[in-house]
Amino acid sequence: MSLRRNISLSSGLSYRGGSPYLAYIMHRIGGSALFIFFTLYILSLLGMSFANAIFGNWFVQILLLVFGLFHVINGLRITILDLVPRWIEHFQLAFNIQWIVYALLAGYAVFVVLRSAFGG
Amino acid sequence: MATRTLPVSKRGLNFEMFMWAFTRFTVIAMYGLILVGILGALSISARTGANFGDILYWAFFPHLAANPLEQVWMTILAKLMVTAFILVVCGHGVHGVLEILDDYFTSAGARRWSRNFIIAYAIVASLIAMYVIWTS
Repeated sequence: MSLRRNISLSSGLSYRGGSPYLAYIMHRIGGSALFIFFTLYILSLLGMSFANAIFGNWFVQILLLVFGLFHVINGLRITILDLVPRWIEHFQLAFNIQWIVYALLAGYAVFVVLRSAFGG
Repeated sequence: MATRTLPVSKRGLNFEMFMWAFTRFTVIAMYGLILVGILGALSISARTGANFGDILYWAFFPHLAANPLEQVWMTILAKLMVTAFILVVCGHGVHGVLEILDDYFTSAGARRWSRNFIIAYAIVASLIAMYVIWTS
């Protein structure tokens, strides 16, 4: 991999890679979110109360769920297409199914967290 | 989009190929463990009349949940499954985080130290997790 990049942040953000690029970025953010979740989980197992307090925050729960769920669903799509290469021809269909499943699950997860936090 | 035609025998087993396979197989192991956990919890719920919350709690935190059927082998199996899950998560996560860090740390020294750090982190985190799981 090249050690030199001449792409500014604004250029990177304005790159129009479409759905696959968005999935690539969200997969990375989701992986990082799960890494943070794993670290907090280990700390909470050790009995550190601040980790439990962070887990209890509704905004943190939404961030972890929204990005973590995407990582899981996108990873499943990548794994399936990697292991069954002839299905790559149906790449766009797989993407569409993935976004629909993700929207349903993430929407429901956010609804449950918000209802628990504010709805009683 | 064309399908790949290069057979596995001609792809070679270099580091990249090995890590690609490792990442894919660890994630399949994770999905498998989650599936087995949910099926096991569903099986228990059929006997105990548990609700959906209990099923998810047994599936994802079996080492913390009270053993509903009070059988020792179930407790041991649950701890083994969680231990296996922690190890594959660590293996998968180490490779993923390394890929991200390699994109942002550009010098050879920084990359070497980021590798050392993340591998050490994975070992320490795994040991702590296993200690807590087997002593809880």
